[in-house]
Amino acid sequence: MNTLNRRQFLKLAAAISAMAAVPRAVGAATTAPRVVVVGGGFGGATLAKYVRMWGGNVQVTLVDANPNHVSCILSNLVVTGALPMSRITLGFDSLKANHGVTVMQGRAIAIDAPGNTLTVSTSSGNQVLPYDHLVLSPGIDFMPVAGSTWNPNLTPHAWQAGPQTTLLKNQLAAMSSYDTFVMTVPKAPYRCPPGPYERACVVADYLKRKGRTGAKVIVLDANAGITAEPEAFGHAFNVTHAGTIEYYPNATVQSVDASTRSIVTTAKTVNKAKVLNYIPNQRAGAITNGLPLDSAGFVPVNPLTYGIASYPNIHVIGDSCAVPSSDKKPVPKSGHMANSEAKICADAIIRSFNGEAPDADIATSSACFSPITNQTSSWLSTNFIYGDIFDASGNVKGKGMHRVDIGEAASDMVDGDSYQDMFIWADSMFADSYI
Amino acid sequence: MDISILIRAALAGAALLVAAAPANAESGRLLASQCAQCHGTNGAGPGFEQIAGKDIFNDLIDMKYRPIEGIMDRQARGYTDEQLRLISDYLSTLPGNGDN
Repeated sequence: MNTLNRRQFLKLAAAISAMAAVPRAVGAATTAPRVVVVGGGFGGATLAKYVRMWGGNVQVTLVDANPNHVSCILSNLVVTGALPMSRITLGFDSLKANHGVTVMQGRAIAIDAPGNTLTVSTSSGNQVLPYDHLVLSPGIDFMPVAGSTWNPNLTPHAWQAGPQTTLLKNQLAAMSSYDTFVMTVPKAPYRCPPGPYERACVVADYLKRKGRTGAKVIVLDANAGITAEPEAFGHAFNVTHAGTIEYYPNATVQSVDASTRSIVTTAKTVNKAKVLNYIPNQRAGAITNGLPLDSAGFVPVNPLTYGIASYPNIHVIGDSCAVPSSDKKPVPKSGHMANSEAKICADAIIRSFNGEAPDADIATSSACFSPITNQTSSWLSTNFIYGDIFDASGNVKGKGMHRVDIGEAASDMVDGDSYQDMFIWADSMFADSYI
Repeated sequence: MDISILIRAALAGAALLVAAAPANAESGRLLASQCAQCHGTNGAGPGFEQIAGKDIFNDLIDMKYRPIEGIMDRQARGYTDEQLRLISDYLSTLPGNGDN
């Protein structure tokens, strides 16, 4: 990468992508096919595991900047102290031992698309990894409001779990009676649609249980209304946590002062909050810079392969990708969905090594549980099938993942059983992705 | 570096034969893998109810068409009847966790 930067390389790659993407043939050969995966979250871990499990002798290298992955799933319960950080810390050892995945700790810094290599910055210098297929599962990057000095050490987002989670936990624990916890809900699409509302609930529940009399949770939502589980969270805000949670829709962030923890939005201004949990708007992870992005900053993909049109042997899964879907029925960005997409991508890559077309009889799904208090949980479920997708008038606009079902827990299902089910679901997800 | 060099390099790369011996995908395997987030890889747990090693088609159809009682009734609505058949047939061939 001495003479061309990543963007230039990718532009050149577009000119010759048809040739560069000739499927690797099966037959007498000297090297096993190579898959390189960037990002050890739920998408990347699942992809690595399932390519190894289903792909015979395919070599898989998983690249992650950290020695393990800290799950956003259940992380709001670490913020409230209900769970220890170790409960959501997921190692890569089983991927190595059980599935033969090679794990490289380092930061992916450059893609040479025509050369089919990825450069990784590691503690022992740059490593260049050749690949036949490259899968990017880098999660999200943040787009903080322009004109403000963003300092996540002062105003933690805790929307990537780990040290940020601990920071927010400590700030919450330091709150006193009559203090104010202010949080933002990013403009959709963002990671984990129900997540911000869940956080508001468990923070309010914490403040009440800990006797912080008069303490408030102020929710500043950039969207026109609650974007996920409106019934369950509406009830939680208006009844369960009434008097503690104040909810403001259409609150587009205009400026943030990290040093004073003050925020100006189009709906509400708060000066000198005790805690300012500013969760900025989001886009695809930085390694996708130079790839084609949609207007929201995510990478459009082919839903049969998660490949990119210009670079068929580069795939994007999870939060960073934009899946073609029917209007007003978007594919959510979630760990569960990333796991779901990873399996389709893994199957398509293995088929391409065999010279087969991708499977078109496919379905994806997402399900999750959201605690409302320290004893009750709601849930959300949504499913997609590949086929025709529709515009707002009901006219077919192409092929993609059409949402065939969505639903949340009815009010009588927001209960202790769901709270216990949340841990069964999370542990199953953790195991299916990492063990 | 010019484009012609890159094109030659790409052609050389494309011509390289690489060995692949992945098993042929079994019908229903990919669809059934979408159950694993909640029922474990290959339906073998950890997770909710045991789903491998038995025929669950009628259960899935019941859940798909009855009024919503819980989250699985929603998930069952996410597949065609034919897909539920493929999923069930595939899972029935798996050993599960031996706790049937």
